Amino acid sequence: MKKKVEQYDVVIIGGGAAGLTAGIYCGRARLKTLLIEKSLVGGLATYTNEIENYPGFPDGATGLELMNLFHKQAKKFDVRFKLTDVKSVRLEGETKIVETFRTIYETKAVIVAGGGKPRLTGAKGEEDYLYDKGISFCATCDAAANTGKTVMVVGSGDAAIEEGMFLTKFADKVIVSVLHDEGRMDCNEIAKSEALANPKMEFIWNTVVDEFTGEGRLEEVILRNLKTDALLPVKVDACFLFIGYIPNTEIFKDILNMNNSGYLITNEKMETNIEGVFAAGDVRDKFLKQVATAVGDGAIAGYGAEKYIAESETFHNQIMQDDMPGLVFVWNAVDPKCRDLMPIIEKYEAENQGKVRVIKVDIYKSAGIANRLGVFEAPCVAMIKDGKVFKIIKDRICEDEIIAAIE
Amino acid sequence: MMAQEVLLDCLGEACPVPLVKTEKKLTTLAVGDILVVQIDHSCAMKNIPEWARKEGHNVEIEEVDDGEWEVIIEKVK
Repeated sequence: MKKKVEQYDVVIIGGGAAGLTAGIYCGRARLKTLLIEKSLVGGLATYTNEIENYPGFPDGATGLELMNLFHKQAKKFDVRFKLTDVKSVRLEGETKIVETFRTIYETKAVIVAGGGKPRLTGAKGEEDYLYDKGISFCATCDAAANTGKTVMVVGSGDAAIEEGMFLTKFADKVIVSVLHDEGRMDCNEIAKSEALANPKMEFIWNTVVDEFTGEGRLEEVILRNLKTDALLPVKVDACFLFIGYIPNTEIFKDILNMNNSGYLITNEKMETNIEGVFAAGDVRDKFLKQVATAVGDGAIAGYGAEKYIAESETFHNQIMQDDMPGLVFVWNAVDPKCRDLMPIIEKYEAENQGKVRVIKVDIYKSAGIANRLGVFEAPCVAMIKDGKVFKIIKDRICEDEIIAAIE
Repeated sequence: MMAQEVLLDCLGEACPVPLVKTEKKLTTLAVGDILVVQIDHSCAMKNIPEWARKEGHNVEIEEVDDGEWEVIIEKVK
C-alpha cells in the first residue's frame, strides 16, 4: 500500500491539554494545523474523575468535560484531528516528516506533546495479563466490568486513591498495595482521609507486586513485603496500576535531547535541540505536571511555531532571492557599534536602489534569521547572490568592503 | 486471496464489550485483513487501541460523527 502524502504548516503530536492548547494558538494564527492523537483526544486528564485546581471552574469539572471544551475550541480554529499513532519522524531540515501507518505528513514545524503512558511494575508475569486479561490502567474504562468483584489498586498517589475510591462504587472490595509504612500515602490529605474511612477499601502496607498469576486471566497478585520479604498471595479479579507515568519518547531517541528518564529537554521557549521542533506538556522535563502548566507550555510552543514559520518565510521570500544581489545587515539595536554603522548601510541602500536589496535584521529581537545565514554575532554583513550567501563580512565593515564584495 | 475489510458494530455498547467482541472477531480474520469497529463509548477509544497495539496490529481511528468513532485495525500477525 502506497502512503498518502499531505502537507501542513504544523503537526502536533499528542492531543492532551498541551497539544490542544498549541493547536488553539496555531489554528488561531491561521496556520494549517494537524493534531495527531493515538487514542482519545484529551490525554491523561480524561483519566481523572475530578479536576478541582484548573482555574475558571470553581465547581470543578471532570477531566473528560474539560478536555472536550479544549477540543471544541481547537476545532473552532480549524485544527484538523487524526486519531492514530505516529510510527516515525524525520525532523532535521526545513521540511519535517511525521509518518503514520497510512500517511506521510510533510510539515514546517512539529510540536511534540505526546505526554506519558502508565508505568508498569516490572513484576513477573505482568506482560501476560495487560489490558484485557486483568491488568488495567483506567478505572473509568473498566470499573463497571468489576461490579461485585474484588480488585487491587497498586499505588498511593492522587490517581491511585481517587480511582480506587471510584472503583468502590462498583467493586465489593478494593485492596490497595502501598509501598510506604502504615498510614503514609503519596496522595493529598483529603483523599487520604476519605480513603482510610471507606469501608470497602483495604490497605496492605510496605508491599510491592512480586508476581501476577492466573490461568489465561489474572487470578492472583503475589505481593512482597519490603521489610520482611514475605510473599503474600491475594486473590483478585482485576488489578489497576497507578504507579506513575513514563514519557512517550521512544520514537525521538537519538533525535531529540532527553534526560535519563526520557523526558525531552527544552528551553523556556519550548524549543528542542532541533530548529522548528518544540515540546510541550508532560513529555518535557519539568517541575510540575498539571493541566494548568501544560496549557502554558502549549501556548508558548504554538506561538513559537508560528514565529519560526514566519521567520522561515521572511528568510526565503525576502532574503534569499536571486533576482538581484542582496545585502543583509545583521545588527543589534542595543549595541552602539552596530548603531554607528547604520548610516553607512542606509547611505549604501539609498545609492543602490533597484540594484541591491538591503535588509536589516535586528538580532536583539530574534536570532533565528541570522542563524540561518550562519551569522552568530553582530555587527555583520552577509552578501547574497543567486539566492545564496556568498560572503560574510565581520570585521572592518565599510562602504569600500561592500562595494568590493558586490563587484 | 485479497485482504478483506470487515465491519463490527459495537454502537451502544459499553466497555468492556467492544474490546471483547473485537478480540473475538480479529481471531477469525487473516493477516492483512482490516477490521473496522464502530463505537460510541469513549472508553473503548482507550482500551481497544491500547490492546490492539500491544498485540502488534496497526490502528487508526476516524471520528465519524460527534461522539461516534471507527477504530480501524489492520491485522499484522
